[in-house]
Amino acid sequence: MSDIQSKPVISMAGVTKSFGLNQVLKGVSLDVAKGQVVAIIGPSGSGKTTLLRCINFLEEYDGGSIKIEGIEVGYKDAVGERRRRSDRDLAKLRGDAAMVFQQFNLFPHLTATQNVMLGLVKSRGKSKSEARQIAHRWLNRVGLSDKFDAMPSQLSGGQQQRVGIARAVAMEPKVLLLDEITSSLDPELVGEVLAVVKELAVEGRTMILVTHEMDFAKEVADRVVFTDQGHIMVDAPPATMFNEQPNDRLRAFLSRFGSFRH
Amino acid sequence: MTIFLQTLPFLLDGLLTTLLVAGSVVLIAIVLGIPAGCALVFGPFWVKVPLRLYADFVRGVPILVLLYFVYYGLPAVQVNLSSMTAAVVALTAFKTAQIIEITRGAFQSIPTGQTDAAKSIGLGLMDRFVQVLAPQAVRRFLPPFINSLVDTVKGSSLVSLLGIVDLMLSLQQVIGRTHVALPLYLMGALMYFSINFPLSVLSRRLEKRFIY
Repeated sequence: MSDIQSKPVISMAGVTKSFGLNQVLKGVSLDVAKGQVVAIIGPSGSGKTTLLRCINFLEEYDGGSIKIEGIEVGYKDAVGERRRRSDRDLAKLRGDAAMVFQQFNLFPHLTATQNVMLGLVKSRGKSKSEARQIAHRWLNRVGLSDKFDAMPSQLSGGQQQRVGIARAVAMEPKVLLLDEITSSLDPELVGEVLAVVKELAVEGRTMILVTHEMDFAKEVADRVVFTDQGHIMVDAPPATMFNEQPNDRLRAFLSRFGSFRH
Repeated sequence: MTIFLQTLPFLLDGLLTTLLVAGSVVLIAIVLGIPAGCALVFGPFWVKVPLRLYADFVRGVPILVLLYFVYYGLPAVQVNLSSMTAAVVALTAFKTAQIIEITRGAFQSIPTGQTDAAKSIGLGLMDRFVQVLAPQAVRRFLPPFINSLVDTVKGSSLVSLLGIVDLMLSLQQVIGRTHVALPLYLMGALMYFSINFPLSVLSRRLEKRFIY
């Protein structure tokens, strides 16, 4: 492993997060190297979405540390005591960890192109014409060259999600966060979205994805992480994870997905 | 027929007063209510609490009580307002509370995923507000706001109780003199209706236009 690869893009150490009395993350540590694709699997309520949302500080983690290329995400140290970053600071950092959402969350009042342009203009400081070019290039890439001016309401779920991917990846984030991006799609639309993600993986983009698509995780991920009850229980290459199933809880979890039953 | 022609100028004067009252109430209430509504959604705790209390309290009191409170009550603490000023103050206090509530609803009915998405592409607070939330809030604000306009025009008839000769009081005065009640009330009703019906139509149109 070369020196550059060994320096993680994302570095999480002892991350904790509670909602009221319910501790969702109980000290999670995870490093992700540049170009790596990490799939997080686990039962619902195991903290996988929360973990993902902590990385771009949509959820504020309570303890531990999350660094993107060495920079602490949500807090800065002010003489030993940590302080929440200013909104402006946060905004800048968040663009480096753009997210694709389960519910797409496209801006309904903007066209597909404008959805992709917004972050480029307002956060990356690009000119409108440059942002439009980038937006069109990415919409082309995700197979929506005929939908530049469509409103989200005129698009199918699969098309909306592809705009969502274009919007996130156009930011050229250091890591792309994908939160159950096919969970609210009709089964026949899942394929078109996963095809786009696979292409991005092959291209060498650093990605962390929370997913219930076990076959997809197996195919596209370099590492699969199994979370349960706020802990990372197994962190292994897909072959080990799915074939050897080195953990009882993992076995119980996977047995619910037909193709992985022992 | 002649009775309509004879009374029409007088009634139109009343109508003008009604529109003047309703118009100034709505205008002032917008200027005060929209920023206050935004503060109720985005402001710090110590701003939210008094606004919340104000909006809930004022909306929970009959408008007539507000009117009498301002006109007959406040002189006890050396605040003497003309009937017209008192009427506008009382109705504005109510309308502002309503607009605060409509504004709050417009913003809070926007799914939180919109803010998440805006944050995740690096938008700061101001850009999230201007580019993402406000345009969506406007669409949610307009239909209830226009309904509230209709309410203002109708509700302004209460100011006749302070002796302001609006459409309502001018009707009663004309009827008092002519003893022709039914046709004149009908005419007055039609005049209110002719203001409010276009507003209702506008509201329905906006609702359709802003479905997306």
